[in-house]
Amino acid sequence: MILDSLKLDGKVAIITGAGRGLGRAMAVKMAEMGADIVAAARTQAQLDETADAVKKTGRKCIVVPTDVTVSAQVNALADATVRQFGKIDILVNNAGGGDGGRPKQLPEITDDEWRRGIDTNLSSQFYGCRAVIPQMVKQNRGKIINIASGYGLRGGKQNFMYACAKGGVVQLTRSMALSYAQFNIQTNCIVPGFFPHNEAAMERFKGGKFIPLGRGGEDSELGPLAVFLASDASNHINGELVVIDGGGLAGGIAPTGVSPENTN
Amino acid sequence: MAEEKPRGAENKMASPNASNDFSLQGKSALVVGAEHPVGRAAAVALAEAGARLVLASQEPGTDKQLKEVAKLVSAAGTKPVIRVQDAATRADVSATADLAAKEFGGLHILVNALDTPAWGPAEAIDDTAFDKIIENNLKTVWMACQEGARVMLRQGSGAIVNITSVLAERGVANAALYCAAKAAVLNLTRALALEWARKGIRVNAIEAGWLDDESSPAKGGGEFSKTLLKYLPDNRLVKPEELGGALLYLVSPAAGFVTGESIAVDGALLARV
Repeated sequence: MILDSLKLDGKVAIITGAGRGLGRAMAVKMAEMGADIVAAARTQAQLDETADAVKKTGRKCIVVPTDVTVSAQVNALADATVRQFGKIDILVNNAGGGDGGRPKQLPEITDDEWRRGIDTNLSSQFYGCRAVIPQMVKQNRGKIINIASGYGLRGGKQNFMYACAKGGVVQLTRSMALSYAQFNIQTNCIVPGFFPHNEAAMERFKGGKFIPLGRGGEDSELGPLAVFLASDASNHINGELVVIDGGGLAGGIAPTGVSPENTN
Repeated sequence: MAEEKPRGAENKMASPNASNDFSLQGKSALVVGAEHPVGRAAAVALAEAGARLVLASQEPGTDKQLKEVAKLVSAAGTKPVIRVQDAATRADVSATADLAAKEFGGLHILVNALDTPAWGPAEAIDDTAFDKIIENNLKTVWMACQEGARVMLRQGSGAIVNITSVLAERGVANAALYCAAKAAVLNLTRALALEWARKGIRVNAIEAGWLDDESSPAKGGGEFSKTLLKYLPDNRLVKPEELGGALLYLVSPAAGFVTGESIAVDGALLARV
């Protein structure tokens, strides 16, 4: 029965960046579908809020404050999960972040900013994969979901670190998929488009008018996709990118919202 | 590390909201090419998720196959309406879309499982064969999208999934036109998605890997199929039923922000060099 194959009952999912936004939305939706959650992020207070939301669904949630740019902490996250639940069924490598402030001209980007950005957005996902793989191989089963971005597939002006890191995530996904297919471990990648998290983002992006569907995504819309890729319903999908962007990447050779005129 | 003591709720407990996001209760769906293994699997998946179905054929003279699929669909959900048609004949496709709309008071989901493989050296394809291959693999999809969308545009909502192949993204020898047609379906999907995005219709695709289907050269047993199996990342062909999850995700309300996208169900084949 296909709807049953989408359930996550009895599964254990680690989600990084679970303190807010898309990470929290995925944690709650996966819990609604039956998974116990290991929520990781830097900020304890935010994690506690996620844990409260997860526990309202009736699932268990442990929180593990983690700096994903420190591989020892990511290893400890995997260890804590195995200690608590005896297994790791699902890893969602969600933690990451853009350049923070205003985009910088190339000569202004310092070595330190570059390294910090790559650590946050790419090395973190590598550390996550490396930390869970021994356990998943032992189980002969596992699902890894990396989170990239449209900037991992297309370029943007003054967008260096983020585009390079997310492009790296795409390739990490493919190499993971091929390396561990034989161990029944599927690694896929969600490519989110524009998901505004505050008024400033909405303002900057004009409410999402540039998106074919005419709006930005809601955090809650990412949950079901994460569930699908974590579930048995996607067992033969591996090394694949699933774009959830309201049609943005399907276009891109003409501005959205206008169409070439009919010249006949 | 803060650990939370488990409270009462055990893992074995069924999750109450489990299937709501993906449920197709109350939705009506038209599957075109339902006599094919992929169409059959698509129909069963949609029926299991609660959709009511019209099963339409690609080729005429397929009454027997459609009846067999109808039995599976009835067992999985509700009894479908059967419509034997020629998917390359405009009047047929148009009448099929109208039938689906009339039968259920609307059409929410259209799945195009239209596929007529064509293998052989390029120099052997004459102009008549060209027209036929493109008609079978592209024009049929185009017409089904047009006619399905005619109904969907009227109601202001709908989800279309075109099932194409990994051949849409890579070349393979002795299938030049077939590859071209499959690629055309992929980009047709993107362009239609953009055109109808603000009219309530989402258009997506599924790229099937090498299928476990008797008619496929992958099942030939010769050098090609043996070498292919070694090349596939998990050394096996794709069963048509394995497309069901991606299909259900794409047509369900859960994918409301997904359009113009394609999901490959190929066991990592497109990921490899």
